[in-house]
Amino acid sequence: MEIIKTAEDKKLAVEVKGRLDTTTAPELEAALKESLEGVEELTLNFAELEYISSAGLRVLLATQKTMQGKGEMIVTGVNDIVMEVFEVTGFCDILNIAK
Amino acid sequence: MEEIRGQVKEDKVELVVAGRIDSTNAAAAGEEFDRILEGVTPRPLYIDASDLEYISSAGLRLILRLRKNFENITITGTSSEIYEILDMTGFTQMMTVEKAYKVVSIEGCEVIGRGANGTVYRIDGDNVVKVYNNPDALDEIQHEREVARLAMILGVPTAISYDVVRVGNSYGSVFELLDAKSFSKILAQHPEKMDWCVEEYVEMLKTIHGTVVPEGKLPDMRETAIGWAHFVKDYLPEEAGEKLVSMVEAIPHDDHMIHGDYHTKNLELVGDEVLLIDMDTLAVGHPIFELGSMFNAYIGFSELDPQIILDFQGFDHDTAQEFWGKTLVEYLGTDNKAVVRSVEDKARIIGYTRLIRRSIRRQGLETEEGRRLIDHWKAELLQLLSHTESLEFTRNELDIEADTDNLDAVLAFVDERLEAADCPMKAKMQIDLAVEEIFVNIANYAYRPNKGRAVIRTEVRENPLEVTLTFLDSGAPYDPLAKEDPDITLAVQDRQIGGLGIFLVKQTMDDVRYEYKNGRNILTLTKNL
Repeated sequence: MEIIKTAEDKKLAVEVKGRLDTTTAPELEAALKESLEGVEELTLNFAELEYISSAGLRVLLATQKTMQGKGEMIVTGVNDIVMEVFEVTGFCDILNIAK
Repeated sequence: MEEIRGQVKEDKVELVVAGRIDSTNAAAAGEEFDRILEGVTPRPLYIDASDLEYISSAGLRLILRLRKNFENITITGTSSEIYEILDMTGFTQMMTVEKAYKVVSIEGCEVIGRGANGTVYRIDGDNVVKVYNNPDALDEIQHEREVARLAMILGVPTAISYDVVRVGNSYGSVFELLDAKSFSKILAQHPEKMDWCVEEYVEMLKTIHGTVVPEGKLPDMRETAIGWAHFVKDYLPEEAGEKLVSMVEAIPHDDHMIHGDYHTKNLELVGDEVLLIDMDTLAVGHPIFELGSMFNAYIGFSELDPQIILDFQGFDHDTAQEFWGKTLVEYLGTDNKAVVRSVEDKARIIGYTRLIRRSIRRQGLETEEGRRLIDHWKAELLQLLSHTESLEFTRNELDIEADTDNLDAVLAFVDERLEAADCPMKAKMQIDLAVEEIFVNIANYAYRPNKGRAVIRTEVRENPLEVTLTFLDSGAPYDPLAKEDPDITLAVQDRQIGGLGIFLVKQTMDDVRYEYKNGRNILTLTKNL
């Protein structure tokens, strides 16, 4: 899994490529933790995210909760397979998913 | 009150020691021994302890004193209690001590089984006795009891012999076997139960083959089979013979258990428990050796004479054929004809090699009938050798340490099977998710705080195409399906972290089942592709 962060002012764009599973989710968690201070707009670009499991969902939920009240979190580029996971788990309702 | 008698013979001394020997009479007993043995030169000393009720340490010291002049002492007929005293104090290491064996009569008893090394009789409602053909069977019996004990400790359900008895001039092993019915009998009497029989039969087989045996405890089947191959090689054309030997030698060493004679007569239904009996052929080795002997049991031995299977198992050739075919499908986890056929061919190579050697060693080449059979087996073997390159086959099971570090290996194993089955991408993702969820749960919680192993089994059935994944672990009993589904309608601040994974599994799989059986958590997922 690859994580590419682009910070600009109070905006942070994070591109996640590959698989977000039990082994890689902690990496994303750590990457976000160290960069989220003062961020008011977080964009998670999932254009090249192939797979997400419950471990990845947990990181998303935790991040969403953190951003709640501090700013906005947007998820973009979601493919069909990942979208289905969001739908089944109701995450499509709690995440801000952009086309 | 004690009684001591003795008879001095030219080649031995026979003493009878009865009653109690303790500190009150030990001195007197010692004097009696001295009186009987005065001037007697060293020779084997037999002590008949059949009526010895008790011996204290004072008495034991007397025996040690005897040993100074009589090196070769044998104590016979001891009760269990006396034997235990002698065993605990190390006397059984210093001299030969034989327990008294209860005498059992098999007159009028029903014969419930006949095997290569003994006959099994039912002696009463609860018990059966296996009477060994060889009158000197004590070592054999001891070996079989140790092996059965080992199997039981390793988790294989088997009957344990709790007593050794004398039956006429032979020895017998007594087993508690209430209301038992062999699978051969079930197949013969209830052909409609065939599928159930196959299921239970293969489940037990997988339990056996999944059992790791500590090094050196059981014979290595690979060594034995290499011996067979070398023997048969001399009776085949040179190239074929060389090929046979090299293919058997190429089979890797495997320290998983194999039964060695796994036919339906050795599987008993006791109540609703399935038990494995007849443990004296237990070994370690690659499962192809087991499949080879199974082929012989159902097909090989009786290929040219269907009466044989009827006599031996009680069911006919067609039933045997059907049972064998279904067993292979169930065991290999696929009904793909080409895959099953290819494994069967490998089993047949092992099977025929064994049959040829066995027959030749029993003077098979000296009779017309023997030569007819050997020629047939040789022809089949040569045919098989010409189109087979390896005797190994892909297992559909992965036995791995339940550690999140192994997640990638587990996914790779499952993905390989899915790709071979042309699984669509979306289903593959969903299956990967499910595998991750279940395996990580086992790794994190099943054996906490210790570590343990997990078995992942994949089965692919065609028409319609479906994949079944089974996860087995021996950790704490836990039903992951019992967890309540998370409320997915809650707002983000109220959403809980837990329960998502298993929820996803339940939603995306077509069937999810859990059971706790024989000390193992078994979770089964099915996805139609």
